[in-house]
Amino acid sequence: MRTNKPILYPSLFNRLYSVWYRHFRIYTKNLVSNGLPPFLEPLIFLAGMGLGLSKFLVEMDHLPYIQFLATGLLVTTAMFTAAFECSFGTFIRMEFDKVYDGMLAAPINVRNLLIGEILWAGTKGFFFTFAVLCMLTLFGILPLNGSTLLSPFVGFLTGVMFASISLLITSFVKDINQFNFYFSGFLSPMFFFSGVVFPIGNLPPVLRPVAEIFPLTHTVRLVRAVCFFKFNYSLLLDFLFILVITLIVAYFAIQRLGRKLVT
Amino acid sequence: MTGNDVIRIRHICKTFDDLKAVRDLSFSVRESACFSILGPNGAGKTTLMGMVYGRTRRDKNKESRVSVFGYDPLHEELKIKYLAGVVPQENNLDEELNVMQNLDIYSRFYQIPKKTARDRIHSLLEFMELQDKKKSRIRELSGGMKRRLIIVRALLNNPRLLILDEPTTGLDPQVRHLIWDKIRQLKKERTTILLTTHYMDEAFQLADKILIMDNGRKILEGEPKVLLKRNIERYVMEVMSREKYNKMKTDLDRKRVRSDEVHEVALLYSNDLAYLKSRASRLTAGDHFIRQTNLEDLFLKTTGRKLNENQ
Repeated sequence: MRTNKPILYPSLFNRLYSVWYRHFRIYTKNLVSNGLPPFLEPLIFLAGMGLGLSKFLVEMDHLPYIQFLATGLLVTTAMFTAAFECSFGTFIRMEFDKVYDGMLAAPINVRNLLIGEILWAGTKGFFFTFAVLCMLTLFGILPLNGSTLLSPFVGFLTGVMFASISLLITSFVKDINQFNFYFSGFLSPMFFFSGVVFPIGNLPPVLRPVAEIFPLTHTVRLVRAVCFFKFNYSLLLDFLFILVITLIVAYFAIQRLGRKLVT
Repeated sequence: MTGNDVIRIRHICKTFDDLKAVRDLSFSVRESACFSILGPNGAGKTTLMGMVYGRTRRDKNKESRVSVFGYDPLHEELKIKYLAGVVPQENNLDEELNVMQNLDIYSRFYQIPKKTARDRIHSLLEFMELQDKKKSRIRELSGGMKRRLIIVRALLNNPRLLILDEPTTGLDPQVRHLIWDKIRQLKKERTTILLTTHYMDEAFQLADKILIMDNGRKILEGEPKVLLKRNIERYVMEVMSREKYNKMKTDLDRKRVRSDEVHEVALLYSNDLAYLKSRASRLTAGDHFIRQTNLEDLFLKTTGRKLNENQ
């Protein structure tokens, strides 16, 4: 009994937006406990590192150390928030809270659900980078100008990329504790060896190509270029790397998690 | 005449790795009917429901067909989901939010305009007798309230098909009767209902047609009263004492009674009420009980008394 009237289910944009909106509402429900830490964390980190180490480290890559480190933090914060959202967050929504059972009964398909998830993690990346930027500007570590204001967009890219990677990891995880391997085996090394804490040039030559494989390396380069308004053509390669990695990883993540959700 | 079928399923199967969850099942559900699927845990009820709204993909084979409002869930799941409301087996409300906020989020999924959504939420909360809980947090709600709220959520888009996966499991009798009443009202308003349950009285109360399944297979299908008439004796005597039963069992007329003696209580089924009464005269009042057979007897007869590996 097909109906004669066409069935006007929501458009693709609306389906993605409704997934995003669901996460937005949950996140902003506890605005103080969710929204304040992104502003405080960079302060603690910079105070700890800056006060203690800046005496010994004068310059890195021709930048005062505090500026070198601070600009790196702009994207690591986006990386970590997106990674948490799409590993522990996604797993809990899927296995414990059964949130997706409800959402997938509404007129959205599993691709819409997972892309919405990635876009939301990108948004959190944007916001977390913005929070760090506010602090860096407030304490005079970075000047505020049109160029530094672009850094949250790099935060968005970082968030989207690490959301995709994390969803792919989630598709393999059977027990929530297995995420510990992902965080201490993959994300923490990346934090230290992607040119955030010290330049990649300081690594032994054999290890440098490894750092080039780390996705974070490329977003760090982009964000520093944006912060100091120093652009060159090799940044296009970094951008391309991020784009290609994100697309490929997101594709496989959606395939694999999709098969878990729609059996 | 199949013109009024909302759901038409032919020869569907579903295999998970080496588990055959649904095996060659067919049935149809007419518009504004209540169709109930009964079966023990692990019989494949939820898998079957999932294949109706695109949450589970059926095995590929040439004969299998699923049509819901004329659409195949493999290809047009969004249309089906737009026309259907689903109450999943497990509650999954957003605990951080209050009642109104939970519903507001879901009204976005259907792109219901804000004003319309607000009005509809208010009238649905009233319908489910939750109007005083608008601002309550989810964790302040009782189990029965949560379940009613999920039904409200499933009704947000005025569905023409309501899919209920064990809607009243674990609820107290008052709430169960309230929910049954609401389901009857929805049926009157021409909503088609697909329901799974373990409760035979629930199926008997609500369903126009039932399908009993076990191990992924269809065992019986039909109107509850007709099924009872055709498939099981009219009366049963429960003998509570095994000892007394053992004494009487030697001179039972096996042509007139069928016995089921797996458990401590022995059950004697017969169409001949007078014969059962004559046997009862040898027992004392406290250790036996004669009643009409019900769906539960039929269910146990057809699906067996032993537990399967999934129960």
